[in-house]
Amino acid sequence: MIPVVIPADLWEGEIEGAVSAWLFADGDAVRAGDLIAEVMVEKTSFDVTAPAAGILRIRVPAEQPFKRGSIIAAIA
Amino acid sequence: MTATATILPNRTRRNLTIAKAMAEAIAQEMRRDDSVLVLGEDIAALGGVFGNTRGLLDEFGPARVRDTPISETGFIGAAVGMAAVGLRPVVELMFVDFFGVCMDAIYNLAAKNCYFSGGQSPVPLVLMTSVGGGYGDAGQHSQCLYGTFAHLPGMKVVVPSNAHDAKGLMIRAIRDDNPVIFMFHKALQGMGWLGTVQGSITDVPEDAYEIPFGQAAICRAGNDICIVSLGAGVHLALDAAQSLGEEGIAAEVVDLRTLVPLDRATIIASTAKTGRLLVVDEDYQSFGVSGEIIASVVESGVALKAPPRRIAFPDIPIPFSPALEHPALPSAAKIVATARQIVRAGR
Amino acid sequence: MRPSPKQWLWMYQTMVKSRIFEERIAAAYFEGKSPVFNMANGPIPGEMHLSNGQEPCAVGVCAHLDAGDFVTATHRPHHIAIAKGVDLDAMAAEIFGKATGLSGGRGGHMHIFDAAVNFCCSGIIAQGMGPAVGAATAFKLRNERRVAVSFIGEGAANQGAFHESLNLAAIWQAPVVIVIEDNAWGISVAKAQSTAVPQNDARAAAYGMPGHRVAGNDPEAIFAVAGAAIARARAGEGPSLIEIETHRLAGHFIGDAEGYRPKGEKEALTDPIPQLRAKLLGLGILDPTADRALTDEAEALVDRAISKARAAAYPVPEQAYEKVFA
Repeated sequence: MIPVVIPADLWEGEIEGAVSAWLFADGDAVRAGDLIAEVMVEKTSFDVTAPAAGILRIRVPAEQPFKRGSIIAAIA
Repeated sequence: MTATATILPNRTRRNLTIAKAMAEAIAQEMRRDDSVLVLGEDIAALGGVFGNTRGLLDEFGPARVRDTPISETGFIGAAVGMAAVGLRPVVELMFVDFFGVCMDAIYNLAAKNCYFSGGQSPVPLVLMTSVGGGYGDAGQHSQCLYGTFAHLPGMKVVVPSNAHDAKGLMIRAIRDDNPVIFMFHKALQGMGWLGTVQGSITDVPEDAYEIPFGQAAICRAGNDICIVSLGAGVHLALDAAQSLGEEGIAAEVVDLRTLVPLDRATIIASTAKTGRLLVVDEDYQSFGVSGEIIASVVESGVALKAPPRRIAFPDIPIPFSPALEHPALPSAAKIVATARQIVRAGR
Repeated sequence: MRPSPKQWLWMYQTMVKSRIFEERIAAAYFEGKSPVFNMANGPIPGEMHLSNGQEPCAVGVCAHLDAGDFVTATHRPHHIAIAKGVDLDAMAAEIFGKATGLSGGRGGHMHIFDAAVNFCCSGIIAQGMGPAVGAATAFKLRNERRVAVSFIGEGAANQGAFHESLNLAAIWQAPVVIVIEDNAWGISVAKAQSTAVPQNDARAAAYGMPGHRVAGNDPEAIFAVAGAAIARARAGEGPSLIEIETHRLAGHFIGDAEGYRPKGEKEALTDPIPQLRAKLLGLGILDPTADRALTDEAEALVDRAISKARAAAYPVPEQAYEKVFA
């Protein structure tokens, strides 16, 4: 399992981000580098890519808040 | 999910938003063809208010990715001149509602020069423009105006409902020798701040493929009623078809994909098969897309089991208050209720 | 021409009122838009263009106007509406989409209309200029001493309507003043990149009218220049064009990450409200007690407007079909 981590330095402070859209469903096959999610932190959006090829396991569904440094998915 | 979004066995899915699919299509055409360039308001450094030109400035530089002043008559007119001498401009009109300040350059110039010149001076130009409401931006930033553009001869009109189609239609549009109005719906764009209809995010092949104009997609097959829509309405129709299916009504959903040319054959065939027709259109009801489709079906003489119906935006400016706007918009619930009535009436 | 102490206090309090209004609107706007910032959600949906930093333009000009004078404003209208005397309660209710709003919720933040004080605005760039020229011409035809003022942004100076309207205003010698709020940015495009001349007041010469540039977002200088232009219009001496250097402190709209702005550029801008407060304290026109009282009064007015707006009922769906025609 390779975790999909939101880098701790992606933004500052205690504010929470959320996935505005998962581009793949839980259980889909993805390739390394595929854009898998778009994350919004307040008004800024970031692209999240798959760190490896494999099966996407979503840990944090869309629109659910998380802190920076969180694991939002894993690649099995 | 449209019928076209099938995955070849030798590749895995690669899902994109419409914004990213459009940007990828433009980038691929810019790599292939030096004559393609992009201009419009906030399309360079910002990457487009709706994200569909993101990354282009970095790759192609400011000569080919040009931020313009707020001068739509000027830069759309300029694009016609660029096209006249061999460039293939992709121009953004940020909101379709802004057509009011520049329609002369669009319908009296871009749309007519090919004809006026007896074919000597075609206008290979793409005008991409955002459409649609539902997010509380009131009557100068929420219109669809599909019918307005489709009504005027000389322009092709494209309305994708998902990322796969957006890419293929954009590549086709750039390669087309005619003005193409590429109308993308804000709710489907994949910008978090506008919400995102999940169904608009689809698998998008990496190669540069075209989707031919004038070919509607049958997104869901059914024998009881044909529901025709476009853009965001397709997703409402698919949601409604799912509910209708649960109560035993098999709805067929047709995604027009292009209004000009219009795939009347597919609409008529689907209506002939089901005997019932419902058109869903977020544009104003009267004198528009829904009337044209119903007229086309009626003129074809296909046997109908019930009078055709339509769900469109009422003939009022789009109100700001969600309490006024939301009830006026098409919805899956309205489609379900109307489809049910049509099917019962025709039994 | 300098503001009287009474005018100074009105200008200062109106700026404060406008800022408090924008702060309350911003807070309400963020409700329901977290963790995902979706513009459609919350008590105030849609785009929200705040005027923080641009208050001096509104007060310096509107200090010379009364309810009978005609004003058109932009997609960023709140400061001008407040300075023009638009009903604050009904404006707040409109922004919240309520039945008690100025337009019963039909228009929202970009379409503030208050006919009682001759105020309107629009979401289309430079659209207000033609109507201002027309209203001014009507006043002239009827021998009224009313004037019209059209506020636009610097980006609007590149629209056809800008040039057509200036020419019309000149040939008709309409009692109109065009006020450009130059905040240096048209969404993400810098003025220097979009505009052929560094100062749009230079364009007045092309239409045979006086052009003025006011630097420094300075309420006193704006008051003086606008006062002279409006007096000139009122006296039947024709139109003027004024460009005011001002500051966009809150982004194009709420949600604009402003990644395109050079680092430090925005931080270097000065907030005009503390600046004016210090100036008035220095002049002895304001003291800390009066400042507190003025601020408290402004805050109370705003808070009343916001709470009434929140408490008001939404229109019923059928009302969407009313008022399409007179």
